[in-house]
Amino acid sequence: MRQLKINLPKCDGGRNCDHECEEACAVKMFKLEDRQGAALHIQELADGQSAAIICDQCGDCVTVCPADALQRNKLGVVMIDKKLCVGCYMCIGFCEKDAFERQPKWLEPYKCTACGICVKACPHAALEIVDVPVPAPRII
Amino acid sequence: MIQVNGDPLAWTPGLTVRGVLQAKKYLFPMLIVTIDDRRVERADYDREPVPDGAVVQVIHLLSGG
Amino acid sequence: MTAPTITPCEVDFTRRTEYHEGLETIRAAHRLLKEFTFTPSLPQKGYNDRTLYVDLTTREVKEKPVTQQMKDLFVGGRGFGLWQLWNAVTPATRWNDPENEIIIAPGPVAGITQYPGSGKSLVVSISPQTDIPIDSNVGGYFGPLLKFSGFDALELQGKSDQDVILFIDGQRGIIRVETAPLEPADSHVLAEILTRMYAEDEADRVNISVVCTGAAAEHSLIGMLNFTWWDKRRGCIRLKQAGRGGIGTVFRDKKIRALVCRGPVIKADMNHPVDFETLARTGIKLHKEIRTQDDLQCKMRRNGTAHIVEIMDAYDLLPVHNFQYGSHPDTHKIASYVWEGRCSQMTSDGCWYGCSMGCAKGADGLVLKTGPYKGHMVTVDGPEYENAAGLGSNGGVFDPDSLLELNFYCDTYGICTITYGTLAAFTMECYQRGILNKERTGGLELTWGNAEADLEMMHQMARGEGFGLIAGRGVKKMKELFIANGWGDPQLINDIGMENKGLEYSQYLSKESLAQQGGYALTNKGPQHDEAWVIFMDMVNKQLPTFEDKAEALYYYPLWRTWFGLMGFCKLPWNDVAPADNSATAEPAKIPEHVQNYLALFTATTGIQIDVETMLMQSARVYNFQRIFNIRMGKGLRANDIPPYRAVGPVTREEYASRAERYDKQMLEEIGVDPAAKPMEEKMAITREYRMDRYSKLCDAVYTRRGWTLDGVPTMARLKELGLDVLPEVVAIVQAHGG
Repeated sequence: MRQLKINLPKCDGGRNCDHECEEACAVKMFKLEDRQGAALHIQELADGQSAAIICDQCGDCVTVCPADALQRNKLGVVMIDKKLCVGCYMCIGFCEKDAFERQPKWLEPYKCTACGICVKACPHAALEIVDVPVPAPRII
Repeated sequence: MIQVNGDPLAWTPGLTVRGVLQAKKYLFPMLIVTIDDRRVERADYDREPVPDGAVVQVIHLLSGG
Repeated sequence: MTAPTITPCEVDFTRRTEYHEGLETIRAAHRLLKEFTFTPSLPQKGYNDRTLYVDLTTREVKEKPVTQQMKDLFVGGRGFGLWQLWNAVTPATRWNDPENEIIIAPGPVAGITQYPGSGKSLVVSISPQTDIPIDSNVGGYFGPLLKFSGFDALELQGKSDQDVILFIDGQRGIIRVETAPLEPADSHVLAEILTRMYAEDEADRVNISVVCTGAAAEHSLIGMLNFTWWDKRRGCIRLKQAGRGGIGTVFRDKKIRALVCRGPVIKADMNHPVDFETLARTGIKLHKEIRTQDDLQCKMRRNGTAHIVEIMDAYDLLPVHNFQYGSHPDTHKIASYVWEGRCSQMTSDGCWYGCSMGCAKGADGLVLKTGPYKGHMVTVDGPEYENAAGLGSNGGVFDPDSLLELNFYCDTYGICTITYGTLAAFTMECYQRGILNKERTGGLELTWGNAEADLEMMHQMARGEGFGLIAGRGVKKMKELFIANGWGDPQLINDIGMENKGLEYSQYLSKESLAQQGGYALTNKGPQHDEAWVIFMDMVNKQLPTFEDKAEALYYYPLWRTWFGLMGFCKLPWNDVAPADNSATAEPAKIPEHVQNYLALFTATTGIQIDVETMLMQSARVYNFQRIFNIRMGKGLRANDIPPYRAVGPVTREEYASRAERYDKQMLEEIGVDPAAKPMEEKMAITREYRMDRYSKLCDAVYTRRGWTLDGVPTMARLKELGLDVLPEVVAIVQAHGG
């Protein structure tokens, strides 16, 4: 499956960039005002390291969704069908990576679709799209 | 001898909170345990010692579906 | 007992016997009797401000307004149901008179999708078992779909002259009364056919909910109502029950074959709440709490309510052999880890959207061994704790497959599992004691654990023949019959028949908990534990030492729990999961953060400010109104609040002997009598007198705390406090009974 992957040593947590990845995602992909609404988040840690909140397409949300609104597409990416979504936010609550997003103005939540727009935008080439096996669904 | 919810229970050296719960068959998962009014976290049940003469409270939260 | 390693269930949960082949023939036989058009609407701040009324005799269909007074005094759910029922009946109304009603009402918050357990409805009717109002709580999709079609309640009166289906189409704005000559009787078949029949395509099935019952509801007083939802992942209908009190019997007496509601596509904000953000934030908070805490606490997502089977056994509270004992060496055969391996786990088991507690587990792939569906493969909804205890340990049945089959047939035949479990256990004890025998049961050997005979009794109930017809009248009427026939000692029969007000006890032993004896027998509808479950507080925690302490618990908890039924909430997410820091709060048993969640959800939906005090007032109005309604119908006074002795103390020598240490200790320390050298009969008599006297004193304390007279009548002062004194009929009843 298609998956966004970050090389944390290459990513400097935004110290020497303008969070171009979040900017591209939020503004260009999701048409939002600012990068706070991006489907990935890069954090600068106190010890000089960085951390990232990124959807790894694990599929836990597919299991919990009561409307079956979350499914893997042909590329293995977990996508939301907004027509089926009932706005219960169980996906947000059950995502262990906190990778789901919501905006007050939208009833349906949203997430990373491994589109690659952030990959192109990163000045440190810290992001890439990889192809990995689909993990087995687990009981959650 | 210790007290558990007002009832006497025989004390043995090395008695832990877990040991008290097992002796009383307190299987219910939602408990609040205090030893002499000091709360013991669930994570510590296996190793927290219960001294001789202690007053132990094992408060069960409600249930009943 | 230590749990063995559980192998996750690998059954293909999409496979089962299907029943819709003859659908077109069944549909073609329908004749339209009445059509009514309406303008579908969505609620504003939780209310549509109208209810739907249908008279099955005249086929009149009309809309009725929800008045401000209704909202102020009765709020919704159970409150609306009781109010409409009050206005429909007279004190002389019996359950099978045409003016009796069935009212289904969700509640102002029902239908939100964010918070676990927010899709419930209350169903209200005059019960065939008790002759007073029964209120029965149920999940499934019908209530929210009804609400989002445009109605805050559905009120059914009259009786049809032929079997009909009432179809409410909330997408097209059409209501139809149609004949249903070929429809099958039993729910698992009927609901599958009707869901497919009324859905316009496969995607539309989730917008359909069916209310129906089964064959046994036509031949017994213990019929219940199934409310369905379409389980997309399994590809089948699922059933939740408005179980207690025999409303399914009323339903079939009115010749309703089914109610079908087709609602609009569900979205997040259809109640048009005042403050959607609070709903979203609070819901997400609970989902996270359930994700992180449930597996450490009650494992509801894995096992549903069956997680407490082995727990009740450990505390000597599991009903065994008609509530004689509290534990059994074979309980491990039906403990929660057994069900974890039988219930499919990769499913989505909430009975309304957004329920991350998802306790409606299903056991797939069961091949039935008996009855009209022998050889069919089915999905069993359950077992819930009540089924495992009632159909299982209480009857001495410890075989999981038999238990699942008993559970399944209760559901499809449309009878309450709690009621059936207790009445079956009663028949088995009668058989044990020679009150019943093979001749009297028509050949059924109702010995403990004889699941085959137990199932056959149920099949007879469905066929309307044999001893099944007698059993289906319930414990109260069986007691009267056995005594009238001279089949046994009347006192023994009365002592062991576990019913109060005509309704069977639910599946917890109250024998050693004075507070729970009140929790059961001082409940408005009859001994159902949904008002108060205080056994641990009383027996284990010893937090209720005085009568006043017990009375305080029996004041607060019934009111708090009544509130769920006004709103459309399920109570399980209130206390079957708790925040990680709950034990550090001042009153952890109340789960204070959750109480605040619920109040916030009400305000966020309706815009009405509320705190704990005003919440209790909302409940107290409905609660006291229901008590007065009971009095109006002739069964709401102290004399009706007396439990059978089996619920209070040891009836038989074996029961006394099984807990002799406990009973002797009470005699010595509390009664002040030395049990040594006393004959068993004398000890039993002393214990009985003491315990019944204590129960009487409990009533005094509880009535006083509730603002009632010592005969159990709400006082005028209490009515004025609650604002119920604006209802002249209510005042008249209170005054007539010295209130």
